[in-house]
Amino acid sequence: MPVTSGIDVGSGAVKAVVMGTDDQGEERLLAKVSSRIRRREVAKVVDEVFHAAVEQAGAGEPDYIATTGEGEEVPFATGHFYGMTTHARGALYLEPRARAVLDVGALHTRAVAMDGRGRVLDYKMTSQCASGSGQFLENIARYLGVSQEEIGPLSLQGKNPEKVSSICAVLAETDVINMVSRGITTPDILRGVHDSMADRFARLLRSLQFDGAIFVSGGLASDLGLRAALKDALDKRMPADTASREVVTHPDAIFAGAIGAALHGGFRHRKLQRAAGTRAEAD
Amino acid sequence: MTCVVGIDLGSTTTKAIILDENQRVLGRGITNSRSNYELAAAVARTEAVINARFGMVHQRAEELGAADAVGRLRRAFVLEQMLHQLRHLERLTLEEVAHSAPAGLRAPFAGALSEICRRIAAEEEARFTQPPLLRSDFFRDAAGSAFMRIAEEIADPNGVSFDRLIGVYDKCIIRVENEPLDLDFRDHIGSALQRVGNPPGLADAVDMAVASDLTPAATVGTGYGRARLPFPKEQIRSEILCHGLGAHALFPETRTVLDIGGQDTKAIQVDSAGIVTSFQMNDRCAAGCGRYLGYIADEMNLGLHELGPLAEQSRRCVKISSTCTVFAGAELRERLSLGEKREDILAGLHRAIILRAMSLLARSGGVSDEFTFTGGVAKNPAAVRALRELVGENYGERTLNISPDSIYTGALGAAIFAARTLD
Repeated sequence: MPVTSGIDVGSGAVKAVVMGTDDQGEERLLAKVSSRIRRREVAKVVDEVFHAAVEQAGAGEPDYIATTGEGEEVPFATGHFYGMTTHARGALYLEPRARAVLDVGALHTRAVAMDGRGRVLDYKMTSQCASGSGQFLENIARYLGVSQEEIGPLSLQGKNPEKVSSICAVLAETDVINMVSRGITTPDILRGVHDSMADRFARLLRSLQFDGAIFVSGGLASDLGLRAALKDALDKRMPADTASREVVTHPDAIFAGAIGAALHGGFRHRKLQRAAGTRAEAD
Repeated sequence: MTCVVGIDLGSTTTKAIILDENQRVLGRGITNSRSNYELAAAVARTEAVINARFGMVHQRAEELGAADAVGRLRRAFVLEQMLHQLRHLERLTLEEVAHSAPAGLRAPFAGALSEICRRIAAEEEARFTQPPLLRSDFFRDAAGSAFMRIAEEIADPNGVSFDRLIGVYDKCIIRVENEPLDLDFRDHIGSALQRVGNPPGLADAVDMAVASDLTPAATVGTGYGRARLPFPKEQIRSEILCHGLGAHALFPETRTVLDIGGQDTKAIQVDSAGIVTSFQMNDRCAAGCGRYLGYIADEMNLGLHELGPLAEQSRRCVKISSTCTVFAGAELRERLSLGEKREDILAGLHRAIILRAMSLLARSGGVSDEFTFTGGVAKNPAAVRALRELVGENYGERTLNISPDSIYTGALGAAIFAARTLD
């Protein structure tokens, strides 16, 4: 049975998975590794993450190595898949009820609408400004002295969210200092930032047609505060049918793109094998 | 002597200028801005007064034939100030460790901190005997980079780790910066004189300078976050007015001013008296102001002053497609990984920041002759070159004025306003 690897090169982190097929023919996640790029050379991080995943899987060298995201340049890849399709496919693998994906990354957020087979129907992306991006939230947390894991729980405690409209991600430091000196609490600042991000995301989702749950993927999927803010924003902005207001995620949601790439890679590998088999018969 | 002071509280640095009754500059002072605005303003003012006193020492020493020693005295003084702050930093870090470090780690932790401070002091003393090198004299920058480097050398990953050492430093440096310290002329000139061996003539000049009264008759403040400046309302003028007037004082024929500061960029049109006729400012966005280059420098692990000279080596300017600073940083990494040259990308980034300024200039009414460029970015040769090219292409031949003291333009304008309140 073929073993495939998916590598998702994001602007903030690199994610790699290895997948294989079990006895029942079900595709299984064998290994997953992710690492933040910080200021390192991307090619080195890709190398490191990929080899760690292959080792963790213990299933030998993959038959097909699929990249996605900004991974077009990975020299050892077998093929590259577009980010929208891999995130859709990966989301469906992790949550079969998903009909939309909200991929919240370090720089971009994408909303994708799909059908029950993971085919992309439509998509929308945020603008070319880092205000309201994952990187933006991370910067603010750093200025507040809050670790990534603490952001969500703190934000949930926010009672009077500070209204944060569009603050420049780079100049946010001074804005945060001003808020702190005005006596606004850390939970209220974080909740305000989450609200502003969620409002933007709800507007992206509103412009898409889909019928089912919204799957949050990417590095910020595990942020409880962001998901709570998103639910509130959807209640305000989405039409009243319940199906398209449900927000779901999965502990492996950060790997959705890599999983989707591995699944697409497996599919293409089988097709190539069949084509090679037909050619061999013809000879 | 009647004198006045102007203070420009910027987002990155705070500047002060002290003028005499003839509006002649007596001294300039600069410090890094910090959360305690009042202290930042006080430190900048103290530095300006120190600078003014050294000017007097120099003048008097010249008459006494001892002028050669003044440069060394000045450096000795800066060294004494630095050592004073370092002692304070050491005291605070040791207190912090005694309070908060795990009991078993306290002794080695304190030992490591004292060792770091001892080595920084030794490096600074050695530096004094050698020819001066260009570097930031802000305590935070000078001590911070040395602390980081020595901490990395002596850290023990299983005991007093690098993270622990830096954690204590980060906590205490903020306190060192936000507590008033004795850094005045009087406080350190005695030990500085001793350090340079008390040359004849110099002590007399110093005595004369110490005795002069430089208490300002008026102070005007300006700058970022004007509403929160630590001055009474009637002593505050807008940044736009101060930059316009300051540029006019430096170059009386100025009709257009471009100021690129740390967190904002201003395009100002002034009349023949230096009065503002129109202006444009950028929104709260780092693209197009000094912070843009600061962010890029951080991304590349370079000092801000290294960026311009590096970009000057470019032969082929790359066109940067991102506007947002964070996106430009990502684009920079991507282009580097594709094998494009560092200097070519940097040239593109410098052009990008100036292009943003060009649109502000256009909206404020264009570029008239003469054109004065001020703010911290005016010190960057690659930015100046890009500006010269783009102004030439769009408006034709213009006289471009840049003063080596352009960073003090806003403070100068404020000081002139202060002088006018005396009339």
